[in-house]
Amino acid sequence: MRTVAQRDGGRRRVLLSTVSSDAHTWNLVFLRMLLEEMGHEVVGLGPCVPDRLLLDTVRRTRPDLLVISTVNGHGRLDGARVIRALRADPVARDVPAVIGGKLGIDGDEGAAAARALVEAGFDAVFTDTADTALIGRILGALPQRAPEGRAV
Amino acid sequence: MTRQSPPGPRPARPGAVRRPGPADLGEAVARAAREGLLVVQPRMGMAGPDAMAAGLRAVCSLPHPTVGTLTLDSYTRVGDHGLARAALAAGEPLNGFPLVAHGPHTTARVAAAAGDRPVQVRHGSALPRDIFRTMVAAGLSASEGGPVSYCLPYGRTPLAESVANWRAATAEFAGLSAERGLRAHLETFGGCLLGQLCPPSLLVAVSLLEALFFVQQGVTSVSLSYAQQTDARQDVEALAALRMLADEWLPPGVDRHLVLYTYMGVFPGSPRGAQLLMDRSAELAVRGGARRLIVKTPAEAVRLPTVEENVAALRSAARAAGRRAVGDGRVPYVGEVDPGEVLAEARALVEATLELHADVGTALTRAFAAGLLDVPFCLHEDNRGLTQAAVDGEGRLRWTRTGRLPLPRRTVPHPAPVTAARLLQMLRYTADRHDLLALEAADDPDWAELSGPGPAVRPPEADPEPYRIAVVGTGPRGLSVLERLAARLAERPAPRPVEVCAIDAHEVGPGRVWRTGQPRWSMMNTVSGEVTIYSGPPDDGPARAGAGPSLYEWWRDADPEAAAPDECAPRAVYGQYLAHALDRIERTVPDGVLRLHRLRRTVRTLAPEGGRYLLTLDDGRRLRADRVVLTTGHPLPRLTPDQQELASFAERRPRLTYVRGDSAIDMPLDGIAPGSVVGVIGLGLSFYDVVAALTTGRGGRFVPDAGGALRYEASGREPLLVAGARSGVPLRARGRNQKGPQHVYRPRLFTRERVRALRRRGPLDFRADVLPWLLAEVELVHCATALQRAYGPDIAERFRQEAEEAVRKGTAGAGSSREGRGPQEAVFGAAVRCGLRGHGPVDLRRWAWPFGDRVFSGPQAYQEELAALLRQDVELAAEGNAEGPVKACLDTIRDVRGVLRTAVDFSGLAPRSHREDFLGDFVPMVSRLTTGPPLVRLRQLLALLDCGLLRVTGPDARFTADPASGRFQVHSPRVAGSRTELDVLVDARIPDPDLRRADGDLTARLRDQGLLTPYVNRGPDGGEFATGGVAVTGSPFHPVRADGRPEKGMYVLGIPSEFTRWFTQVGSGRPGVWGEFAADADAIAEDALHGAHDGTTATPLTGVLLGPRWHTALTAPDEETNP
Repeated sequence: MRTVAQRDGGRRRVLLSTVSSDAHTWNLVFLRMLLEEMGHEVVGLGPCVPDRLLLDTVRRTRPDLLVISTVNGHGRLDGARVIRALRADPVARDVPAVIGGKLGIDGDEGAAAARALVEAGFDAVFTDTADTALIGRILGALPQRAPEGRAV
Repeated sequence: MTRQSPPGPRPARPGAVRRPGPADLGEAVARAAREGLLVVQPRMGMAGPDAMAAGLRAVCSLPHPTVGTLTLDSYTRVGDHGLARAALAAGEPLNGFPLVAHGPHTTARVAAAAGDRPVQVRHGSALPRDIFRTMVAAGLSASEGGPVSYCLPYGRTPLAESVANWRAATAEFAGLSAERGLRAHLETFGGCLLGQLCPPSLLVAVSLLEALFFVQQGVTSVSLSYAQQTDARQDVEALAALRMLADEWLPPGVDRHLVLYTYMGVFPGSPRGAQLLMDRSAELAVRGGARRLIVKTPAEAVRLPTVEENVAALRSAARAAGRRAVGDGRVPYVGEVDPGEVLAEARALVEATLELHADVGTALTRAFAAGLLDVPFCLHEDNRGLTQAAVDGEGRLRWTRTGRLPLPRRTVPHPAPVTAARLLQMLRYTADRHDLLALEAADDPDWAELSGPGPAVRPPEADPEPYRIAVVGTGPRGLSVLERLAARLAERPAPRPVEVCAIDAHEVGPGRVWRTGQPRWSMMNTVSGEVTIYSGPPDDGPARAGAGPSLYEWWRDADPEAAAPDECAPRAVYGQYLAHALDRIERTVPDGVLRLHRLRRTVRTLAPEGGRYLLTLDDGRRLRADRVVLTTGHPLPRLTPDQQELASFAERRPRLTYVRGDSAIDMPLDGIAPGSVVGVIGLGLSFYDVVAALTTGRGGRFVPDAGGALRYEASGREPLLVAGARSGVPLRARGRNQKGPQHVYRPRLFTRERVRALRRRGPLDFRADVLPWLLAEVELVHCATALQRAYGPDIAERFRQEAEEAVRKGTAGAGSSREGRGPQEAVFGAAVRCGLRGHGPVDLRRWAWPFGDRVFSGPQAYQEELAALLRQDVELAAEGNAEGPVKACLDTIRDVRGVLRTAVDFSGLAPRSHREDFLGDFVPMVSRLTTGPPLVRLRQLLALLDCGLLRVTGPDARFTADPASGRFQVHSPRVAGSRTELDVLVDARIPDPDLRRADGDLTARLRDQGLLTPYVNRGPDGGEFATGGVAVTGSPFHPVRADGRPEKGMYVLGIPSEFTRWFTQVGSGRPGVWGEFAADADAIAEDALHGAHDGTTATPLTGVLLGPRWHTALTAPDEETNP
């Protein structure tokens, strides 16, 4: 993946979700505000997103980036399951996807959970020490996926 | 299998567990209350039965009254009992006790560990039926939740479904418990909802409504929750109100008590701060009249607490509760507060809801659907999401948007808009405050140490190569970036010292336009109360980055006689304020963290070199910077061919003078002889400045005459001014200011959400997509103001709601605004129905071009009509920008600039529409009406017209060079006999930035190097609009190079990026408001400081683990692209 010129000022479509068992929403409220202030378009799915709904929405909206934020401690299990389903889908498999938040129940499960999630198919995992605003840097480096699905 | 139940006590159902279960919760609490003891309870849930039982045992064996808790896990909450079972079997950790999966026998066994103390099941589920059934079968009868509070904050279940689930499950729960000889107890969770940032009146209302719901299903023992918020006094008011409403509404036979939740948000980081908060919550419970307290442990911020931590929290809470008078008792008693406001609001919400239906559950569903109940920040689809709340300056929660809540009186919304940064701040408010308070309580008087709860300043590293940021141009924009750099470094110093080189050719701090030495006739156009350069309001500490006075507040101290919040200060005064601010910013952080170098120099060259930038100054010095911020302000591009022609004409004729467009204070006007005839091109703000320079600047005075108008007393050294422009009419005055500095307008129709939704479809057509909504908003304010003036605020408010309704209906069926009535017509129609008389709909075009196509018989005729028009404008302006319909609705256009930017910036508009509809038509039209000077300038103009020192030529004025006469001349084709010959021609039009015509300055050089490129708006269909603005990325606004890639070490902010972005010529922020001015500067400051923290130029993504697809792409330096 090359960094590509941004002729559109860098506005991307982000699909913001959480995992199926996670009912927390402040992280989602914050991320939506942050991403919108950065100038991006956010499609949000709210809390407790069933795997099926997430997959269908990725297929339908063709986001430039999928952001899964989860803080209930089940992120490792649920995140791995849903990304595997996405990567197995012929239409959704290419979507750039990152996950972050509190990924295990113990405070220091971060590193192991992060590795497992990358192996399961995430392009990046934001551990607890990462600055959320780095998501802007990642978005800046992504090519825009035009509605037809081509990289512009 | 059903059968008739015999009368009398029922035998236990087959299969149910028979053993003495835990105590009745209501009774246990009542008993403790009689002994004057607070009941304390943790949240606790372990997956395995043995661990859970051990936890219960530890809690229930404490010497003071406690309640044991079984907190269920997330899978059980959503009804995924299969997944819970699978996780148990696989030994995977769960975040709670999977009660249903374990079944009633295991659960009963576990619950027995509580002995004779009550056990409550806490679960958070919108489908509680299985949980209740298993509970009761296990002999447990106390739980919590609610159809609203366990639905809206936590899941996707439709509210109606949750209500139906809860209705059936609660009724069954009450019945099943009774059959077992138990009394079902339900605690409402409605006093918590999202846990933070909800004004207490809504929490009280929902808590009460859920209690009523339980009672309606047959529950006879309830507790009403309320969660501790940000301000103890406000919390005590809420508890008092909750008790009063419970007494009013619950039937007398229903057992009830209040339960307080220790703060549910982010916990203080320091042990002392956490302890203080926990102690406060116990105090609050006792003094507020709650009988039970659900504690938190500090550990919960990071992970689930251990049993030991829970027990410690319980002990500590009980101790604190015992010490009723703790120190100076910061928490007031119930009897000491006035719950009137909270009570009235909560009562209004409850009554409006209950009016909707006799069944409380149905009433709740309908209330949320109608927005009569609306939880701020709640993402659930059945929550309307029209409300918003914030923590105000005193720490109380206030509504910032009230949506459709039926609140008893018009609540004044708290001004600061909630941005992501502010949201985090507010979410952390309680934690940060308690960390600070804990320090104070430890007798630490030194202000410097209290300046932040963050880590102490680290000593500079052994190898302190400073990280250098160059700010090129230090007017307000450059200063705003400096301010945010200092504020951020004060919160979080970098590992190495940061050096900022503040470079300005004129005056470091004020910059060219605002320099302190300029003449006093040069005035600002914004009132001093609305101007600030600090990103935050002043507090008890000294003025510094992030917390400083507005221009008025500073001016008042510096010059109490002259200062007034609704007056415009001289520009030189703003300059002094900026210079003072720079001094204060410098002192915000010690030298080891941030060092400021002021350089009154011009930057000649700037080139990237080895990951940094090499700058050379006009004195030959060179400096290397890691980051460069270009805030160079108003440029002076090469003259256009027309302007060049006029300039050359004058050059060849010594008697003539041509003054090119620029800031008036930089124009060479002193040489203009008294009595000479001076043509002035343009009737905008710069025209007003030029007039001031050549009248009061020449020693003349304006004095008030008997009628309240002004009269001009000439000095005799003035020239004769002949002004003209296409419009023929000078910029209209702004309405007399009636809005406080913290006024923030919240649009109802022309909203950011609507614009974002429109933008999702692709580039916009300004005329078809954007303008109708803007006009609708303007019309809304116009009619509302007129209706308020005629009939009062209630009618005005009713009109607003009807207008919104009319617009909603109007656009529900129609596709685009081209079909049928547009939203503006719908709004106006609603106004007429509400009784509006004597006003037509807003017609911006007619207001901007009042003379249409008319021709005039001669200059005198035109002057008279013009003077009449300006007098009328003066009257309209005197009505004020809040009470006068015309000026109020025009002011709205300024108020919604941010929304317009959302539509326009970064190719929001299709190229043709951007060029023609927006820049070509709309912007000039509204500039005439909204960007004008304060009212006093119009009065001054009238005085000058009256005494003949000023003449306005007429519409479509043309200034030309006449070789035959050897002089300049001006004439208007619509005013007969208007031709006038001129010795001097002053172009009073501030030049638009045009990178393509940059000449001989740093900007030109950077363009030639390919570091700066002109912005081209390219549409998807191939259309193009080439502009003269500097092309920049979205925040943080890196310039886009000639090769199309962003230059990541540089930033461009302000006027040079006009056209890429709209209306960048903003010279200040608004006090108390974190707006775009501060946000733009902060984005640059944050990005620029990344390098200081990481120490490398290609900053790695710290804390982010990358997968193989991205690993090389994101960590390697930028690669070459294939063309």
